[in-house]
Amino acid sequence: MASDTAVHDRATRTSPHESSSRVGALLFVTALVGLGLVTAPFAFQMFSRAPKGATMIADFKPFMTNQRLDGFQHDIAEIDGAVTQIDRARPPAAASNATYQEFDRQWPAINADMTNLLDTVQRNVGNYRAVAALPDFRLFPWFFVVPGVLIAGAAGVALRRPRSRSRSRRRLRVVLVALGVGLVLAPLVFDMFARAPKGGHMMTAFKDLETTQKVQRVQGYFSAMAAGQGAIRLDIEAALQRSGTDLPAVAALDRDWVHILNDMTPMIGAMSDNVGNYRAVAAMPPFPMFPWFFVIPGVLVAGSALLIRVPRNNATRRQGVS
Amino acid sequence: MPAQAGTPLIGTFRLAAGDCSGATPTGTYFRMIDPGGTIATGKYFANPDSTCADKSITVEQPGTDGGLVTGSFQPDPATPFDAFGNSLSGRILVARSFTAIKFGISTNPSDPQTHQKVTAPTITLQGNSLSGQITAWSAAWNKLYFNQGSPKPDGSRPGLTSPVIGTYDASTHAFVLTWASEVVGGPFNGFTGFWHLQGTFVAAG
Repeated sequence: MASDTAVHDRATRTSPHESSSRVGALLFVTALVGLGLVTAPFAFQMFSRAPKGATMIADFKPFMTNQRLDGFQHDIAEIDGAVTQIDRARPPAAASNATYQEFDRQWPAINADMTNLLDTVQRNVGNYRAVAALPDFRLFPWFFVVPGVLIAGAAGVALRRPRSRSRSRRRLRVVLVALGVGLVLAPLVFDMFARAPKGGHMMTAFKDLETTQKVQRVQGYFSAMAAGQGAIRLDIEAALQRSGTDLPAVAALDRDWVHILNDMTPMIGAMSDNVGNYRAVAAMPPFPMFPWFFVIPGVLVAGSALLIRVPRNNATRRQGVS
Repeated sequence: MPAQAGTPLIGTFRLAAGDCSGATPTGTYFRMIDPGGTIATGKYFANPDSTCADKSITVEQPGTDGGLVTGSFQPDPATPFDAFGNSLSGRILVARSFTAIKFGISTNPSDPQTHQKVTAPTITLQGNSLSGQITAWSAAWNKLYFNQGSPKPDGSRPGLTSPVIGTYDASTHAFVLTWASEVVGGPFNGFTGFWHLQGTFVAAG
């Protein structure tokens, strides 16, 4: 039995020096992966940028519904209806009103641009919902730091104890495998492979919307619409009433103008307030890459851990147990 | 007691109603400058509800307190807006229509837009020149708040924001106060409000 044990030993076991070096190398790689996870949020400035992403997602929430966006589309269509009706009827009060004429001149471009903006936003309602369904952005840095500290810590402790007993080595392997598997599973649990690319699509779509230039242009549109509607409300509609001319679209706009202001002004505010937040999120790695920032380290950690051999103690050798 | 150099004026700056019938507006009025514009030359935001030929000028009327009170706050009412977003603030100025929704002015211990603690307005007289801070000056419109103070609640003077300055006639107690304040944040981010207050100062007590 003793000779069988010796043969088994020779067949399955490298020399103590080689085994120790190999384990040390695997632990070193594991520690590096852990340190990489810890430093990644700092390298990508996630602690400052991720909260801005969270703010942006929260600020967009009231507007990223089909119902709300349909409402905005209706608001724009209502203005267009009034302008179209006035242009067809050509009441003298409109022709002689310089403020309205200036608005009328600008309106086709405003209408086209605002409709395009709203269409772009509405096409991304699903993408927004996917991103909003991910864990709070503020937690993201910690999803790297916490496992990174645990992995680097466990590997570091083991590196300082090269002659640890089999039970300790076994525990270490279990911990590292569990952490590695946890990292691999995290993107699956949070459905990141489906949601992250949608976040990427949304960020791409909003690239030309969340800029200072675009916001100022939309603010300019608001100024023009307010001036034009004011001319309609205060001058043209009164003249139409005096002349007995019935333009229902004009009356509807006048009736609904305050609601349009109530509705759209906060949306412009959210756009304006999130230019910086958008930039912060856009400065981080692209969304589709994020699942792999967990999976690749997870595979490396779990794989390295599985390659760590647990040394046999004297009791297990005598029993011929590997 | 006669005013002395470096004297804080504590009381009510009773406001004269704005008047735009002449070539230059007088009294109390407000003007909004578009982003990228200048106070002197614009481009200005045209308020269609302005009663002036120059729609960029919105004349104001004194509120129920008669005007601006220094040394204490004139806060928004408990219900600051009606269902349509009209401001219900009316102590400093009568709420005026701005693109069909009324805006009002108040001063609050906590700025409604930034939620930062601010101090009550202070105006100081030196010679016949006025200076001070009206950080708490807050505009309410369409269920939104816009700080229009100088300096801003964080002590800064962004963009076209200018110090509160003015003149004072000790014999008649007539005053003029002006300042500009850039809107930071919200739908009017980057716009600047220029405020011209004119009237007669009445000391407290």
